[in-house]
Amino acid sequence: MIEIMNVSKWFGDLKVLDNVNETINKGQVVVICGPSGSGKSTLLKSLNGLEPFQEGDIRVDGISLIDPKTNFIKLRQKMGMVFQRFELYPHLKVIENITIAPIKVLNQSKTKANKKAMELLERVGIPEQANKYPGNLSGGQQQRVAIARALAMEPDIMLFDEPTSALDPEMIKEVLDVMVDLAKSGMTMVVVTHEMGFAKEVADEIIFMDEGRIIERGTDRTFFENPESDRAKDFLSKILI
Amino acid sequence: MSFEWQVITNNFSFLMGGLLTTFQLAIIAISGGLALGILVGMARLSSIKPIYYPATLFVNLMRTQPLILVIFWFYFLIPIVLGNPIDAFTSAAIAFIIFEASYFAEIIRAGIQSISKGQVEAAYSTGFTYWQAMRYFIIPQALKNMLPSLITQGVVVFQDTSLAYVIGLREFLRSANVVDAREMRSVELYLFVGFVYFMICFSMSRICKRMELKKGAA
Amino acid sequence: MLNYDFKWSILWEEPYGGWILEGVATTLKLGALCCLFSFILGVIIGTLRITNYKPLRIFAEAYTEFFRDIPLLVQLFFWYFAVPSLMPETMRVWVYQEIPNFEFWVVVVGLSLYSSSRMAEQIRAGINSISPDQFNAALSTGFSHYQAYRYVIIPLAVRLVIPPLTTETLTVFKNTALAMTVGVLETTFMSQQVEAYTFHGLEATTAACVIYMIITLIVVGTMNWIEKMLAVPGLIIRKGANS
Repeated sequence: MIEIMNVSKWFGDLKVLDNVNETINKGQVVVICGPSGSGKSTLLKSLNGLEPFQEGDIRVDGISLIDPKTNFIKLRQKMGMVFQRFELYPHLKVIENITIAPIKVLNQSKTKANKKAMELLERVGIPEQANKYPGNLSGGQQQRVAIARALAMEPDIMLFDEPTSALDPEMIKEVLDVMVDLAKSGMTMVVVTHEMGFAKEVADEIIFMDEGRIIERGTDRTFFENPESDRAKDFLSKILI
Repeated sequence: MSFEWQVITNNFSFLMGGLLTTFQLAIIAISGGLALGILVGMARLSSIKPIYYPATLFVNLMRTQPLILVIFWFYFLIPIVLGNPIDAFTSAAIAFIIFEASYFAEIIRAGIQSISKGQVEAAYSTGFTYWQAMRYFIIPQALKNMLPSLITQGVVVFQDTSLAYVIGLREFLRSANVVDAREMRSVELYLFVGFVYFMICFSMSRICKRMELKKGAA
Repeated sequence: MLNYDFKWSILWEEPYGGWILEGVATTLKLGALCCLFSFILGVIIGTLRITNYKPLRIFAEAYTEFFRDIPLLVQLFFWYFAVPSLMPETMRVWVYQEIPNFEFWVVVVGLSLYSSSRMAEQIRAGINSISPDQFNAALSTGFSHYQAYRYVIIPLAVRLVIPPLTTETLTVFKNTALAMTVGVLETTFMSQQVEAYTFHGLEATTAACVIYMIITLIVVGTMNWIEKMLAVPGLIIRKGANS
């Protein structure tokens, strides 16, 4: 469970997060959307400590991120993250990408890690790519490997930063299918995305951000059909043709 | 340890004479090298084998050689070819023009290749011949793109002129060396030489950076 | 050509052939040492240039700019002629007497410092081309900073940096020729030594040219082999690491 309390962040003079408040419960799927520069990615990255913030507090399962004694390494083991540009390690094979963290961080044996990795690759639909290098895979395949890599650490929470924005249209579905499957299995997910179809299918809550602030919240039904704020209406009119 | 900077003021005109020689050699080397480099660069893009292969061979050969050795080589070769002895300046100038041409050629080649095919086709479609297209469209545009690299290479040539020291040319470094032999004030002299080179090269590289920023913004 | 009597046999007559070979050995030693030191220094300065700590970054930038705006020959002269005069008397005497081949080590210092600034540029460009999210991705799986560098960033950076470093290594070996001006008995010096004794400058200098060609082929071949060993299918190594 994640509690975001009065979080503000500045980059120099620019306020990128403005008094953000939100609670995300276990098993919930929360979609964050909004125009570029609205602070969505920054907010996502502050949840696992990749982006520090100057004001407010974020608590993940009771652990405060501003507590100097917080062990971020342990914290991040519980939170998996998937990036817009996949960010697979190009010099490692697909299977090594997935197993390296369990081996080096959790001290798992190579056999155990490999077995788990193959299971995950099956789950995302590409077990045959295990011994290839990321450079030989399509974007959609790479992103699925990235999801498997994040799942290998058995996180409680999965964070997605525009996971399909860098994909060619024909590959978006294969990644979204994996994410829907994950959502239905009960994973707590925070997803920054423009894919409203995904939001409609599995999101419990949709948050609309602009200029660092949460402008509007809703469920898939209320937000899409009856957006309240002008900015949300404007944004939706631009992305939903 | 006391510094005696008068050694520089006392010999100032002598040192400046050396700097002048440096500039003269650099200007000749850069203009000659660039002119020859354009020809070689274009030859490297040619699809005519008897033109492409010698140019490529030339460029690759020059890249394996230290400039200092090439200076020596021409210093020995030219008198043999001409049958007469030759002065250090001319010998150095020839060596520099030929050597630096290989580096300019690569910059030119990359610059011309960076002009998109679409541009070339646009030029042809309005009825220009290959040479006209080159002359009026491709080369001017390519030169604008290459300008930062060309200036950087110019700075390199300017620094390289110090190597003509080895065949006795009285350029800037050697003048300082001559004064040092007489006055034994190497620290002041070489600091001065370094300072002058630094000021000139640093300013040129700043101009280059400003040009690149403007290009990026445009 | 005209009134010149070509005598290529001097190249393998004793003692001239032996001199040239000695020169080659010195060139290779000098080149290898300078490559090693300038690489180590280059990694340090290169990483300093990207660090967030401003004073170190400014120092590293000044370092790079300084060494690239002054001709190498001027720098060597400074180390060889000027620096000893700056040393206190006892140190200078020790340096001249106790260090054999003083001029060799002067060039090692001068050339390594000069080349390190160039390598630092290449290394910095290589590291910069790695997206910051690569680092974030590593951290997000629970890696410590150290682990992220060790298993992800550094292996990647090494592979990105090898092609431009190949060119730099070659440049180092070519620059060793400048050592002749301060009396180091390397290839170019020896070729001119042969000329002084036999007056057959063209042959001697041509021999040196051929030797540098061979050295180039060996260096490039070695670096290409290293690149192949480290190469990863699909990794676009020849990215824009231009400085």
